Amino acid sequence: MGYDGDSTAVECRQLTKVFQRLLESRAKAVYALREVSLTVHRGQIVGLIGPNGAGKSTLLNLIAGLILPSEGALTVCGHPARSIAARRGLGYMPEHPVFPGLYTARAILRYHGALLGYTAAVIARQTDRSIDQLQMQEFIDRPASDFSQGMKQRLALAVALLNNPRLLLLDEPSNGLDPVGIIQLRDLLKRLRDSGAAVVISSHRLGELEKLTSDYIFMHRGRIVSFADKISAGQAGKLHVELVSDGRQVAEKLSPPDRVLEVSATELIIGINDPDEVPDIVSRLVQGGARIRSVLLQGEDIEQVFLRLCKEGA
Amino acid sequence: MRAYELMKETFFRRTYIWMVHVIWLVLYGVFWWLFLPEAPEFGRFLFIWAGFFLPLALSAGIFGDDIASGRICVIVTRPFWTGELYIYRLLGLSVQAAVHLLLAGAVVLILHAVMRKGRVDDLGVWLLATWLLFNTCAALSTSLSIVVGRAFNSLLLLVVIVTGYFLVGLLSMYLRDQASTSALASFIRYPWPPFELLYKFAAGEWGQYAPTVGKYSVNKSIACVVHSLMLMLVYSIIGIVLLGRRQFSRVRD
Repeated sequence: MGYDGDSTAVECRQLTKVFQRLLESRAKAVYALREVSLTVHRGQIVGLIGPNGAGKSTLLNLIAGLILPSEGALTVCGHPARSIAARRGLGYMPEHPVFPGLYTARAILRYHGALLGYTAAVIARQTDRSIDQLQMQEFIDRPASDFSQGMKQRLALAVALLNNPRLLLLDEPSNGLDPVGIIQLRDLLKRLRDSGAAVVISSHRLGELEKLTSDYIFMHRGRIVSFADKISAGQAGKLHVELVSDGRQVAEKLSPPDRVLEVSATELIIGINDPDEVPDIVSRLVQGGARIRSVLLQGEDIEQVFLRLCKEGA
Repeated sequence: MRAYELMKETFFRRTYIWMVHVIWLVLYGVFWWLFLPEAPEFGRFLFIWAGFFLPLALSAGIFGDDIASGRICVIVTRPFWTGELYIYRLLGLSVQAAVHLLLAGAVVLILHAVMRKGRVDDLGVWLLATWLLFNTCAALSTSLSIVVGRAFNSLLLLVVIVTGYFLVGLLSMYLRDQASTSALASFIRYPWPPFELLYKFAAGEWGQYAPTVGKYSVNKSIACVVHSLMLMLVYSIIGIVLLGRRQFSRVRD
């Protein structure tokens, strides 16, 4: 992607994480991550996807410095993960943000500003910016115990953005957000990316991720299965062919037959690997006697990629 | 700012904390009102309630709650030495205790002035001994909170200390001259919060607690204060090391 060494936000080399209880044999240990290597650059939004138990949260926790790797090396913004220097450029938003119930949103931002070592004036400026950025005017002076899930998410995001992070780690950031909130979040993350920050998002909301990025890390059983940018939408998909004549007869003439995903009297759905194949397929169909009413190329979206990779992984 | 916020948080983290302070202060008043202490009974009462039970109440889940809820995951990603988190939270408890004890002293002085009964001449030394005991108990409980889930640190400490002292009492009664009893009593007396030592310090009873090494001896009051502060330091160092090495994960994916 043409980035130099300084632009690396996260670099993992042969990262392994084993959860082993005290006095438990190695055989019973859980390998949450196995020899994971990856690089995330600044100015990049990466979607961390995979089925439950794949190791996404473990990877996110390792990058955030919440847990230590069993083996391998991990640097964050050029510094060893968990070091104070690494944490200086880090913003982290957990899946279920928790705030002390007696604190207002403003007090919570002030608290985190103080943890960052900011002066009162800087905290006030950053708080005002967060209020505008995340539309928090309504609830900024209300106690956190009264917050809805959406308000908590906005506040958690404001907390994560307080230090203008170079690396932002988000765990299911759109949980509980209304459609307006989701759009605002998307715009905000794009602006962050454009300003040079790296964003790593762990999410099961694939449709949302697809609107943000085409860079994915697909995880399965503690390993990275594939970077979905290599199999991004457009490289694979389905061709919906609406027919006048009997589709079943036409399907038999197609070669190879396993490319036909679905067939009915008036419709054929054909799996394609490359959009450039479409003219040839249509031509073969016509030569085979098909009377075509319409053709629709539907690129494989991230959900379909996810399902396919899950199936392949299984 | 950081120190202030982390100290302030120890008071505002849970709604029940201010109630603990109020209930305890009311208890002191009721005790004084009912028993009109002539001798150092009030000091003893304060010593147990504010020196032992108050730190257990105030430090319950001081780290355990945050670890269980996952809130700590955001706090420890902030760029500062994790030891500060421990130090300022303990300091927050200590400041709360100091204010609490000053208020308790004020309540007693007012009651004494109004009722013209009771003894307050030894109140100062009881308040100091109570504060020192509070600090050691709070440090031990705070360190336990890093490894024991939710608010069970206080419960565990209560059970261990009460059981320990009960056992030593039993052993002392039945095995008065045994060397093992003496060893166990020493084990309880020295590494654990110095109840006996501070009690004798406040009550002006010294006897066997003369700290001498060879021909050298120290002023007993200073030795007592230093001993309790050293214990607090040791508990705190253990806590800071535990917090620095602790992994915080809520793996759900």
